[in-house]
Amino acid sequence: MAAQRDTLSIWQVVELARHQDRPYALDYIRRLAPDFVELHGDRVSHDDPAVVAGLGTWRGRTVVFLGQQKGRNLAERVARNWGMMHPEGFRKAMRMARQAVKFGFPIISLVDTPGAYPGESAEERGISSAIGAAILEWFQIEVPVVAVVIGEGSSGGALGIAVADRVLMLENSLYTVASPEAAASIVWRDNARKVEAAEQLQITSRDLLAMGVVEEVVREPEGGAHTDVDAAARALDEALGRHLDPLLRLPTADLLQHRYERFRYIDSLVAADPRFGPKVEPKV
Amino acid sequence: MVLEGGIAMSGGKLPPIALTTNCPSCGVGLVPEDLREQVYVCDCGHHFRMHADAWIAMLPDEGTWRERWGDVRPHDLLEWKVPKPYQETIEQAREEGLNEAVRIGTARLAGHDIWLAVFDFRFVGGTLSIVAGERLARGLEQATATQTPYVLVAATGGARMQEGVLALMQMAKVNGALSRLHRAGVPYLSVLTDPTYGGTPASLALQGDVNIAEPGASIGFTGPRIIRQATYAELPPGFQSADYQLRCGQVDMVVPRTELRGRLAHLLTLYGRSP
Repeated sequence: MAAQRDTLSIWQVVELARHQDRPYALDYIRRLAPDFVELHGDRVSHDDPAVVAGLGTWRGRTVVFLGQQKGRNLAERVARNWGMMHPEGFRKAMRMARQAVKFGFPIISLVDTPGAYPGESAEERGISSAIGAAILEWFQIEVPVVAVVIGEGSSGGALGIAVADRVLMLENSLYTVASPEAAASIVWRDNARKVEAAEQLQITSRDLLAMGVVEEVVREPEGGAHTDVDAAARALDEALGRHLDPLLRLPTADLLQHRYERFRYIDSLVAADPRFGPKVEPKV
Repeated sequence: MVLEGGIAMSGGKLPPIALTTNCPSCGVGLVPEDLREQVYVCDCGHHFRMHADAWIAMLPDEGTWRERWGDVRPHDLLEWKVPKPYQETIEQAREEGLNEAVRIGTARLAGHDIWLAVFDFRFVGGTLSIVAGERLARGLEQATATQTPYVLVAATGGARMQEGVLALMQMAKVNGALSRLHRAGVPYLSVLTDPTYGGTPASLALQGDVNIAEPGASIGFTGPRIIRQATYAELPPGFQSADYQLRCGQVDMVVPRTELRGRLAHLLTLYGRSP
């Protein structure tokens, strides 16, 4: 059946990543850490239901979990704002990241968003600077961080909780500079060109692995993660173990240096192309 | 302390820019030579968009600009074909004498050594690309190593779609470098001009020690066209303007271009002192 999964069109992958039965962050978190305790609020003004945050026991240790959460039915989707975060969501995430540093707990961050909320309420509360401040602060978070794209990983809204030591993708997830609709709207001024946009953007897990942007693609059950959520969660659990265990042994200074270099040279696979020019500044 | 007159404007003569025949705000007929003398600000206060060459002529002390890494060039990584091949876009911009969406170098401003990074909106809408990110990050690293203040002038449509997720990754690349600059206690002054949208303000452009907006500049994450498309919302007048961002707590001040150089010089003096 391997041939079948290899012949999915890019748009079929997009549809799988957005499948209405696809497991969401809480479906994984509750399987990884059945004792998960959710915490709420950014301690400034709001709680953002588009992102869940809390602690739980994973493999015998306390872990801080973050996850963008979509809704299963219309009422839930409205309440969760379709997983599109407001500024307070990024503040909540960073509050939890600082708490993880306080106690030395590693962080597992699950990415699943069509993007940060593209609306007036997000703008007036400073969505740009909230994302920028989060990205900046992740480089100073002195505990191991593993991010996993479990569905949609679109734009700065995804990156804002995905500045990690390792970034993994579930097989049928996507990770992109902008959702195909947004990209089509920007490039063609017509979001109906979403399929063409998706094809050009190179957004599948296989594309990102080839570009060196993610460390591992986690296999999903045949037909997609929604066909067997327990099996998908087990595969995720194993992948997290592979990546978090070595990180937990690293001295903090090495961890932060590696995280810096991971993003500083993330385009090195392509930057090494002679047409691009020198990758690293020669010593003057 | 008054810093007007002499250092309000550069000794450097600004290059010509493309102008309409009348001011879009007040309708007065424009005299290009006069407008150039007043750093492309109409008597009514309308600020015309300046491109990178003009900023580079205006901000540094005359003869002090040293451009770096102009030889780092973009190419079409994703083999982007429609609606226009990306390689063609790059080559056409290059033929027009443009060198990527960010240009960077060292300079002096009123005697202060600075790193100066300037977006050029003419190059694919001033989009954050691998080359733009690389130049910004190298400059931030050098500024950190030499304890030299970093001045940014933003004019950008966000991440460059034609470079896909690698363009998105530039947001992390530059903010990683910026986090080190902040930790090292090096001043970072960010000037936001019209327009500043998307991945650039959502990475480094709003993380300055001081964020300065130009009057009338539109600044935001998502542009009004896409917000209307996504939410069907009526947007209030002045939405995402410089004054709006001042009210929303996103920028520290709105400074007319004619006073910008003096304000930067003053800030460089204040932030440059030992405690």
